Amino acid sequence: MYVFDDKIGRRKFLKAAGATAAVAAAGAGLSGCASFGSKDRRMAANEAGASQWGREAGEWIPSCCNMCGGQSGILAHVVDGVVVKIEPNHWNPNNYSNISTDFFEGYTEEYGCAEGGALCPKGNAGIMQLYDPDRVKKPLKRTNRDKSPGADPQWSEISWDQALDEIAAKLKQLRNAGEAHKLLWMSEDHSFTHIQNDFCKLYGTPNYSMHSNLCDVARKASFRMVMGDDRPLPDMIQSKYILLFGWNPTSAIKWVYLPRILTQGIERGAKLVVVDPYLSDTATKANEWVAIRPGTDGALALAMGHVIVRDELYDKDFVANWVSGFAEYAAYVKDKTPQWAEKITSIPARTLERLAAEVATTKPACIDVWSGPGQHTNGVQGGRAIAALAALLGGYDRPGTQIIPDKRGNKHAEVKPDAGAQQTLKNPRFDQLKEKYPFGHSSGVYTQLFMNLLNGEGPYQPKMMMCVFQNPMMAVPGAQNIVKALAKLETLVVIDTMLSETAMLADYVLPGTTYLERYDLNSHWVTWSALGLRQPVVKPLFGQPTEYETVAALGRRLDLREETGEAFFSIGRLSRQPVEDLTAWYEEFLSNELKQGAPGITLDELKRLPGAVWVDRKGTRYEKYAEPLSPEKLKTAFFDGNPRAEGTAVYDKPKDQGGKRIGTVIGGQAVRGFFTPSGKAELYTPSFAQKKDANGNPVNPLPEYKPRDWQPDEQYPLYLINWKEANHTHTRTQNNPWLLDIKPNNPLLIHPETAGRLGIAEGDEVWVESPHSKVKAHAHLTRRMHPEVVGAQHGFGHTALGKNARGRGTNFGGLNTTKSDPLSGQAVHKEICVRVHRA
Amino acid sequence: MAAMNELAQVVKTPPKEPSAMTRRELIGRLTKLGASALATAIGGGAVMEALSPAPAVAAPRTGTAEPATTRKFYYGMVIDTKRCVGCKACVVACKAENKTPPGVAYTVVLDGALGNNPNDKPLFMTKPCFHCENPPCVDVCPVGATFKRSQDGIVVVDYDRCIGCRYCITGCPYGARSFDFGENYPAVADHTPYAAVPSPEYGQYQVRREDASPIGNVRKCTFCIHLQDADGRYDRQAGRWPACAKTCTGHAIHFGDFADVNSEVSRLLRERQAIRLKEELGTNPNVYYLL
Repeated sequence: MYVFDDKIGRRKFLKAAGATAAVAAAGAGLSGCASFGSKDRRMAANEAGASQWGREAGEWIPSCCNMCGGQSGILAHVVDGVVVKIEPNHWNPNNYSNISTDFFEGYTEEYGCAEGGALCPKGNAGIMQLYDPDRVKKPLKRTNRDKSPGADPQWSEISWDQALDEIAAKLKQLRNAGEAHKLLWMSEDHSFTHIQNDFCKLYGTPNYSMHSNLCDVARKASFRMVMGDDRPLPDMIQSKYILLFGWNPTSAIKWVYLPRILTQGIERGAKLVVVDPYLSDTATKANEWVAIRPGTDGALALAMGHVIVRDELYDKDFVANWVSGFAEYAAYVKDKTPQWAEKITSIPARTLERLAAEVATTKPACIDVWSGPGQHTNGVQGGRAIAALAALLGGYDRPGTQIIPDKRGNKHAEVKPDAGAQQTLKNPRFDQLKEKYPFGHSSGVYTQLFMNLLNGEGPYQPKMMMCVFQNPMMAVPGAQNIVKALAKLETLVVIDTMLSETAMLADYVLPGTTYLERYDLNSHWVTWSALGLRQPVVKPLFGQPTEYETVAALGRRLDLREETGEAFFSIGRLSRQPVEDLTAWYEEFLSNELKQGAPGITLDELKRLPGAVWVDRKGTRYEKYAEPLSPEKLKTAFFDGNPRAEGTAVYDKPKDQGGKRIGTVIGGQAVRGFFTPSGKAELYTPSFAQKKDANGNPVNPLPEYKPRDWQPDEQYPLYLINWKEANHTHTRTQNNPWLLDIKPNNPLLIHPETAGRLGIAEGDEVWVESPHSKVKAHAHLTRRMHPEVVGAQHGFGHTALGKNARGRGTNFGGLNTTKSDPLSGQAVHKEICVRVHRA
Repeated sequence: MAAMNELAQVVKTPPKEPSAMTRRELIGRLTKLGASALATAIGGGAVMEALSPAPAVAAPRTGTAEPATTRKFYYGMVIDTKRCVGCKACVVACKAENKTPPGVAYTVVLDGALGNNPNDKPLFMTKPCFHCENPPCVDVCPVGATFKRSQDGIVVVDYDRCIGCRYCITGCPYGARSFDFGENYPAVADHTPYAAVPSPEYGQYQVRREDASPIGNVRKCTFCIHLQDADGRYDRQAGRWPACAKTCTGHAIHFGDFADVNSEVSRLLRERQAIRLKEELGTNPNVYYLL
């Protein structure tokens, strides 16, 4: 309960007991304010309006944002069932800091973090997403069989019952024919993923995929190879040297704490260096912008490694105790001189020498890499070379470096499917994730999926797709392939709040809900364990079921059961009693995950916590890799070899019983270590040589630099890159008028010298051409761009989505091929070459 | 001549529900001034004082409050350009708070390139109204609709008096004012449930209606005065704080009372080097920038 305590004069979180009295007291609040003019200039205030709509009226409901995947905390002001305003939630660490000491300094249960949390422009604009008149309001059924681009689907509005019945009938038909695996499922990566995953398992398809492989699975693979964790988080506020490769944290905000910890890190003395072909908004805050050719970051990192090894600037203690493969790495970088890298990267050797010496001698240094280098065909090894730099400098899990996050949150309780489902689950995934991508991610490989579908390749031909909040028509590179691939499906069902480009190709479109209308649990975006609740702050506007209710309703229609015979979608996960109401059923589903997870509380208990956030008071821990395994863990531990021998892996139970790696023997002691084969950070991993990438080539056990596949040539001489900004999320928000106010389109940025050579002036309409397609754009001349590169923000150029979005800016995705990095399956959005000329 | 016509409009079209100055008073004062005097008055000057409230007192640069008559607070901002990341959350939060329509922005983020930087590196700075101690916008208002509040120096617009002449837009050297042309965002135009939400501006809680004020008026930042309590105080942790400062992702917007030596804004002015825009104009702004 959030009230305005007039005595204290603050918005205060109150435990449920006694709240009523305080509300009554707060009611008297501001009524003295009759005029907003001055003594001599009265301006009559509207007291009735104030008491009906003012900050004391209605409710402030704590929840989590989902305008992007960052899940920052929000407080939604709701009056008479209308969302009036969205503000930051001061109790959620995502809004403030990823380091617990910083978050808790001055934190109180009543008022949250000391300085108050923040909220990005998208979070502030959530209201316009909720009340967008262009939202899909009723289930739509396609009546036009023609699915060519631009064809009118000739929608017919149908009832929810009819829609669910017809979709369930199609799913049933597939399942009864033993073809459940021919259902493909695509989902967003932060919303109700567990229940969709469960549905797929119980139904019997191995083809559950989600957004991550369009985003950052290259980074995940790079760090996992070096230090055994998918997502280390950068401790910038305690760092003294922040070196970012192709990451734009102050603008591609995601967690809204990023601008704060970066700028305050600098205030506390950190130097910031940003390596990027574009002087990104983050680079404007940097001491130094290092303009690099796209896709060559790996070469830069190896040459820095060369200098650091040559001049013995590495962290000798850390390397001796916690790094494996140093000798092999040192030999490999021997000829990766700054001069060698200068030719590849366009960065002067002298600059490179200086940067290497600086980062190695300024401690602690925080080195990070995200999707800039990642979304290239050489992205994983390039990112690995960067992650290796951090290993050389002892830059893991110490204050001011890359921290291994404590990911405990809610626990996804695994389901056990029935015999029929188990049968079809034996089929391989259609996207060939396991066979082809040695460092792939459970999110799948969208590019492979669509190319297999298009070309009739892969292990079988799928018949149906459920596409939930995904817009592959604009999000997957090579739209020309996606449109044809989708047309090969017998049935495409899209669940979305908007009629996206993909929805326009669907057979059924079901109206989705915005994050203000539904539940979710959000964890592990800071370095210690914390979990925020998303809850409906208003009822779904059009009376539609939420996505999880739709999934459960389909599950009931299909009568999906667990191996035990229990009807999964009808029995409460906690009570084990039948639960008729779909919302109540899902609330129990979440309660069960909370009870089994780190919080150990129910959904109702979580709702009553300040800000509806559970925060582990134990906070961020450092150097976890050196922590000995507890006697408790050792009691049941399984040693995969001699328990005294260096490098023996330790599991929580025997491997054949599904044991999970919990540590390694290092220095004669069982410690957590790093979750790599050796238990140490690895610069060289011999076992990788036995793996083959998606092209059938052996994986280099060293973080090799190989040029990316697509290089500029005479015909297409310019690199084309893209990026995200704080003002829009992917291809999802370009109909939001408040966000269009701050960013209405995406001009093509081009260096004035390059433009001059091509006879292009500021504002000119230009053609941007690749071998695959050509698009029109408006040129904006700026020296913020590397002269060999042109680039634009991703997400514009819609042909659908809504009235505001259509025809605004340019969609460059069609210039690309539908391709992934061969190690992780990361879509390579940034690997395009083009020519540009005046239109 | 255009100016004269606008003034004539005032006389013909009385302000809706005049509060402090009645229609009769206004006409009386205009009549006394005479047409020729009015013509010279437009540029600002002695005659305008007849229409303006008491001349503003000079703001103390640091905390020591002068013995001003009714002035209790010297509200202002100190904006740290080193922390501003140019995300424009402030622009959207302001919209969400004040329910401003398309084309009306009380704050904008400048992102112009720095002239002396070879890379066209921009300097981000959010720019609300500066609530100047000597506000030129007030001086040029022919009807006294915009004035500086004597109790805290916040420059406001009385929509009941504003005739929409837009002199103040040209008068403001900082581009801090916009005209409400009556456009609406789709959620309002299409009568979604959000269309029922009133703007809390000036505590008036007006639901947006066609052809009704503030459509046709000039609008500007108010430092969210509707969030002040009865004593004219803000409270940050209660959320009664200007919307832009409350949401700022870089924690760059510091708001407070310069009369309070212990306030964050006073401390920042003491400890850091600050500048104001177009200092040479003598407007004496209450918004400072840390570089």
